Amino acid sequence: MSRIRAVTAALFVCCCLPATAGAAQTVTLHTSFSPDRLGASTTIGFGFQITNPNGSLPAPLTSLSLHLPAGIDYVTTTLGLAICQPANLLARGLGGCSPNSRLGYGSAFVEVPFGQGSGHEIPEIQALMGPPHNGNIVVLFYANGQEPVYAQLVFQGELVSGSNALGGDLNAAIPLIPSVPGGAPVSIVSVESTIGPSHLTYYKHVHGKKVAFHPKGVSVPLSCPREGFTFSATFGFSDGTSAVANSVVPCPPRRR
Amino acid sequence: MLVAGMMSAGVLTGVAGLVVGTSSAVGARAIAARTISLNESGHLRRTSSSGLKLNEQGSASGTIYGKIYIHLDVVSPNRVTAEVNIYPNGGSLTGFGSASYRVNGGTASFSGTMSINRGTGSYAHAHGSGLSFSGTIQRLSGSVSVHLSGRMST
Repeated sequence: MSRIRAVTAALFVCCCLPATAGAAQTVTLHTSFSPDRLGASTTIGFGFQITNPNGSLPAPLTSLSLHLPAGIDYVTTTLGLAICQPANLLARGLGGCSPNSRLGYGSAFVEVPFGQGSGHEIPEIQALMGPPHNGNIVVLFYANGQEPVYAQLVFQGELVSGSNALGGDLNAAIPLIPSVPGGAPVSIVSVESTIGPSHLTYYKHVHGKKVAFHPKGVSVPLSCPREGFTFSATFGFSDGTSAVANSVVPCPPRRR
Repeated sequence: MLVAGMMSAGVLTGVAGLVVGTSSAVGARAIAARTISLNESGHLRRTSSSGLKLNEQGSASGTIYGKIYIHLDVVSPNRVTAEVNIYPNGGSLTGFGSASYRVNGGTASFSGTMSINRGTGSYAHAHGSGLSFSGTIQRLSGSVSVHLSGRMST
């Protein structure tokens, strides 16, 4: 059994290829707020599916840049009250980090470059608060794959603010996941993940007792643009191509 | 902890607020020529918040003592602006600051500069710029510790 242990040291800052470069892969992006209410503490759900129009296996994903809508408040959240060190995460898994460092969770489907046709799930992807980089929030993604793809890896995304308005870009470099030792990397075909307090429990000490609580999530903006809240993502692939996908969370219905 | 320097007047009187004394015009003119070296610490708790605006209240100590109010406005993920009001005996001071802002686990820190723009009573002519302004926010409780230092004319 081989176990992949990889940490990306370099942070992906921006996709340098034009969005129209190549057309080998197409990506669909979907996003959600739960609850979906203006000004509310929420959990962001996001996922994507990668396909290759000619029916062959998509090239392995190497980078992801997720652009958040303006006004998303991830500053006053109480998510990520503890820092998870990547080395501890690799050595001990989730047990190596405080529950108060968890930001969200998800899963992924991958396909190996042989025996195509049956996707394999990596059932556990965890998002955790990492050590800040250049003053920016860092999100660690921990993937824990078992059979048939044995993969325990950590990669990180850096939340970079683009302007004075809240919002920003979560930029991540994604390491290649070997299918077998020394073999060709697997292809990620879909990912589902959350960032937010849903299903997360934090702990604090009150008068010497450990008390569980739910952290405050990121906040939906107080007003909604006419077109809704637009997320966009740029995906980079190992074959040098890139793809852009957008997703809109419609404005929530007005409360009466 | 308590640092009071009467830089130009050359008279060290301890707490700056005591120098002002009564509201006589003579007293006010005398103070206007002076520079005070401020070295303030404040400990505050959150009283309310609205979106990205955080309102904090507490006590200041150091060169001057009194209630302190801070209105923090998170204008971007890595920048805050602040209005600081301190109410020592006999007057008040108001300053505006801008600082970088960084989240690091359970705390967030800010560091930047502040200008003192106006005052009332004994500090009616207070002004200063380029003061150091920094602090730490406990993200869970919302409590803030703040430090303000630099020179202020009165």
